[in-house]
Order: sequence, then C-alpha cells, then structure tokens
Amino acid sequence: MTKMRTLLGVSAIAFAVSSPACAETVTLAAYSGIFQDHYMKAVVEPFMKAHPDIKVEFYGMPNSAQMLGTLRAQKAAPQIDVVIMDVSVSKAGTDEGLFDKVDESVSPNVADLYPAAKAQGVNGVAVTFDNLVLLYNKDQVKTAPTSWNALWDKQYAGKVAIPAVPDIQGTTLTIIANKMAGGDDYKKSVDAGIAKLAELAPNVQTWDPKPDVYAPIANGQAALGIGWNARAQVYADTSGGKLGVVLPQEGSGFQINTINLVKNAPNSKAAKTFIDYALKPETQAAFTEEMFYAPTNTKAKISQAALARTAAGSMDKMIDIDWVAVAGVRDKITEQWRRRVIPLSR
Amino acid sequence: MSVAVAESVIPVPRPALGRVGTATLLLLPIALVNAVGFLLPVLNLLRMSFNEALSGGGIRETFTLANWVGLAGDSFYLELILNSVVVSLTITALTLVLSYPIALYLHRSSGRWRTFLTVLVISPLLTSAVVRTYGWIALLADQGPITSAIAALGFAPPRLMFNTTGVVIGLVEILMPYMILSLLAGFGRLDPRVEEAAMTLGARPVKTFWRVVLPLTLPGIALGCLLCFVLAVSSFITPKLLGGGRVFLLATEIYDQAIVTLNWPLASTLSILVLVIFGAALAVYARILRAID
Repeated sequence: MTKMRTLLGVSAIAFAVSSPACAETVTLAAYSGIFQDHYMKAVVEPFMKAHPDIKVEFYGMPNSAQMLGTLRAQKAAPQIDVVIMDVSVSKAGTDEGLFDKVDESVSPNVADLYPAAKAQGVNGVAVTFDNLVLLYNKDQVKTAPTSWNALWDKQYAGKVAIPAVPDIQGTTLTIIANKMAGGDDYKKSVDAGIAKLAELAPNVQTWDPKPDVYAPIANGQAALGIGWNARAQVYADTSGGKLGVVLPQEGSGFQINTINLVKNAPNSKAAKTFIDYALKPETQAAFTEEMFYAPTNTKAKISQAALARTAAGSMDKMIDIDWVAVAGVRDKITEQWRRRVIPLSR
Repeated sequence: MSVAVAESVIPVPRPALGRVGTATLLLLPIALVNAVGFLLPVLNLLRMSFNEALSGGGIRETFTLANWVGLAGDSFYLELILNSVVVSLTITALTLVLSYPIALYLHRSSGRWRTFLTVLVISPLLTSAVVRTYGWIALLADQGPITSAIAALGFAPPRLMFNTTGVVIGLVEILMPYMILSLLAGFGRLDPRVEEAAMTLGARPVKTFWRVVLPLTLPGIALGCLLCFVLAVSSFITPKLLGGGRVFLLATEIYDQAIVTLNWPLASTLSILVLVIFGAALAVYARILRAID
C-alpha cells in the first residue's frame, strides 16, 4: 500500500516537474523534516544559484527504508536521480543493482573524502557523518553528564528513553556498551555489551520514544536518552535551553549517510553535477555550519564554533563501525535485545 | 428454512437473463477495484513471503519455505502470535463489558435524548486515533493526572503506559464506538414487551437479563466482538505509541520488519499470518451465528 502511495506521490511530483520548460531537473530523494529544511537552505538553493540551468526537486521521505521501497518500485523506469540514505540501506540497494558507482569519474572530490566515507561494496559515498550523543533534560539533570554511565545512574530510574534495536541508535549503543564493558570485536560477539545493557534495562521508561527521542527529553517526560548529534544540536537550539547534548568521554560511533546515483536515472548528467557539488569542501562546510553533521571531505574548513558541536574535533575517540559488517549480525543483536535486555524492564 | 417455504408457496419469477447481466455489470466496478486494490497486493504479499531476505535488507527472488519454517521454529514469533491474540481478546472482552450497558441504555432511550447520546458516542470517531492516543499519553504519564490521583490516595502509583496496560487502555477507548454501534445494530430483536412478559411471569431483573435480554442480543455481541478483535489485531499506531517498545504484537513487528529492518519477506509472511487469524475469527463468527439461529 505504502509502496503504491509513494509511487503515486513520485508520479505526481514528476508531473509537476515536467511542466515548466526548464532545462534539466534533478530529483533528489532524502529525509523529510528538519533535514530537508536545512539541506535546502545550505546546499540545494546555493547549487541552483550556481547552476541556473539545473533545477533540483527535493522529494522528502521519512526514512531510508521508504526510499529503497520507492526505488525498487521504479526500477524499470526510475524517476529519482539522486538519493541520500543510510549506508546499510545503500548497501542493500547496491546489491540489488539500483545504483551506479560514484567514483572520481563522477566527482574529483571523491579523492578527498575520509577513508570511512567509501564503504566496501557500496556504490554511493558518504555525504554526512553523524554520531550518537547523550541527551539530557537540563531541568532534571543539573550538572552536565560526561559519561554514558549517566544512563545507568539509579537516580534516573524510569526516566531514560532509548530507541531500541532494530533502530540503529540501539545498535550503536550496543557497540559502545560492548567497548565500555571490555568486550572485544563487536563483529564476533556483543555479549559483554548485552550484559551491560541488561543492567540499564530497569532504568528505561520507553524503548520506542515517539515522535522521536528529542521531544520527550526536551519537554521533561524523560530525563536522559540517546540520539543523533545533528538533530540534537538543532533541537537544543530550539528547545529554549531544555535539551542538553553531550559527546561522552568514552567516545561514540558514526552514522553515515551516503549520496547515491540511481542507475538509468532520467537526468544522469545533471545528477552527477549535483553529487560533485554536494561533496565539495565548501558545500560540506556550509552544511556542517548549518546542521552540525560532520563533513566527509577532509578539505572542508569548519569554524571552531561549529567544530565544537560535531564529532569532527574528536575523531580519535570514535569507534570505527563497519555498518556493512554490522548488517550481517543485526538480526542476532536484535534477538539478544529481545530475549536478554527488553524483558528486564517490564 | 423460511426462505424455502416461501418459495414453495409464492411463485418467484425467474430473473430474466437481462437482469443477471445488469447485476453483473453493477458488481463489476467494485469487483475490479477489489481485484486491483486488494486481491492483487495480497497475492503479491504471498509471493514475497517465499523470497529470500539478504542481510542488510536485500531481497533475492526465489522460492523458499525458509521464512515459514523459521517462523514455526522460533519461540519469539510463537509468543508474538500468542501475545497478539491474547491481548486482542482481552481488549475485545473489556470493550464489550464497558460498551454493553451504554448500548442497552441507548437502545432504550428515545427521541432527542437518544439522538444526542448517539452523537456523543460516535463523536470520538471524528478525531483520529493518533490524536486520541496522544491524549492518553498525557493522561497516563508518570506525573499525569491519573497517577497523581492514585499517589494522592496513598497507593504506590502503577506504571500505566509504555506497557501492555497502556495499550489495552488506549485501544479499549478507541474501539468502544465501534462496539457500541455494532451492538445497537444487533439489538433489533430485543422487544421491550418480551422483557415485560418475563417480569410479569415472575422473573427477577437479573434472571430476565440472563435468560431473555442476553440471548436476544447475542447477534450484536458476536458482530461487535468480531469487529473489535479484527481492529485490535491490526491496530498498529496505538501499540506503537503506548507500548514503549515493550509490547511485541504482530502489527508492530510487521512495521519493524518492513520499515526498519527491511526484511520484506518476513514482514509478508507475518502479514499473511494475520490474514489467517482474521479468517479464523470469521469462521468462529459464522459458527456462533449458526448456533444462535
């Protein structure tokens, strides 16, 4: 049903787009909501100013899964040219032959990307780095916590909000907890992390915060939680000083969004121009200043103020998460959460 | 029976060929809509349940029973199915108990008062379930009015949401209008004169209720329960919002598998399973109706 609806939605957009006598139109699918607002402002609008002959249509979707579903439905006749999605979903799309390879022939900027931006077996390349952060309500937690251990503090029993697996925020927390508990390679076993999370379980109020994890913490329904840095930084600014964001001393893990070139896209040439623009140091810097995603281009020049609000300044503390490998053990991690973590919080 | 008798007495004119044609013609649009909008997607779903899910969300077109076999051998999914059925049955029973007196009162009231009450009963349907669920979140929250009232009375306040209790409370309230309307629709056979006759013959009110009122309203009860059970099994947004990730139900699991984990083959298998449960519920309903007649 949703597939059908998105299909109709895309066709409607395609109609709307095809009417004006514009030279070329790139249809970009990416996250709706605040990502769309900030990406339009920092990247898409400046791009259209620089390339008056190319128009970019932003087709917002709530999550990567829906983007993949839409691309699957359109495989025979794609209407989307470029898609920005989570790297593990991008791997699935690559495996299904939905994407062309983005390499230096598409954009010379690919050469300047961090090694982590080019995942093995994924045709897209990273366009944003985000990382897991500790969130707290400034009214209920008076001194800013510095460690993930704050989540385990009995003082906040029943006041912790954790987006559980299969959400990848839960997966990232598992890998962090595994490292904190002295576990070794997370690709082999996360038993130590699961045992540590089992101790966290009685503190948890909800494993599925809605509409997202930021709202209940900003309004005081929960005191502590975990979320993604970029969104947390934006909401911290708009919450009137209620939402606090910390990159704990133990470090964190990255979430990676890739930019992908859709195979047989209607406007491949203009799409490549856009991808090249999105990976440029200047564009990367502009989006970091706007929304606090860390840049993927090593040459991006970021102001100290913005740098302090991303993980770009603490690269040495970050756990290198191989999301393609994690996709292979994801079901196992989910199963352990369901049997050994969540039941302890009833 | 009664139809057969009527046919033997009154000669029924055989429908002319033209009329059959008209009927078919009139049925054609809805049949087409159903074929394209329901039958085809369900067949597609069935086909998808035999595909292989690759790690990371990929799908390989093939024909394997792996999803079905895996489901049958996994205690988590067996518990999930059982939990869905038990929670839905609990919700249905509670909805029935809470709705029955209201429906009976509505059935017996008359005039403007009845219209007013009916509108009152139906009015929650004018607000979406999402909005009403958020209302319950505000009411059932840890420092919300209900827990505060319980604490003020000196009891340890129980956790009322982000667990099964919250899901049951939310869904019962959301399903009550459906139950009340179904009950009213099935109360047609309840004639006040029959009750009066029972009382005249010396039955006390309780006995009248058990022996006369309840049997006569069974068709309405069966219809309301079927509707509520089906809606409870398939409801997804309320368990998602009030369950706090602790309540594992078929509908929420299908969402997670389809949207988060991207395991479409498994999500399809679970969806077909829900259809099978619906089929079973319908079969039970048909049996009950036959038994009543």
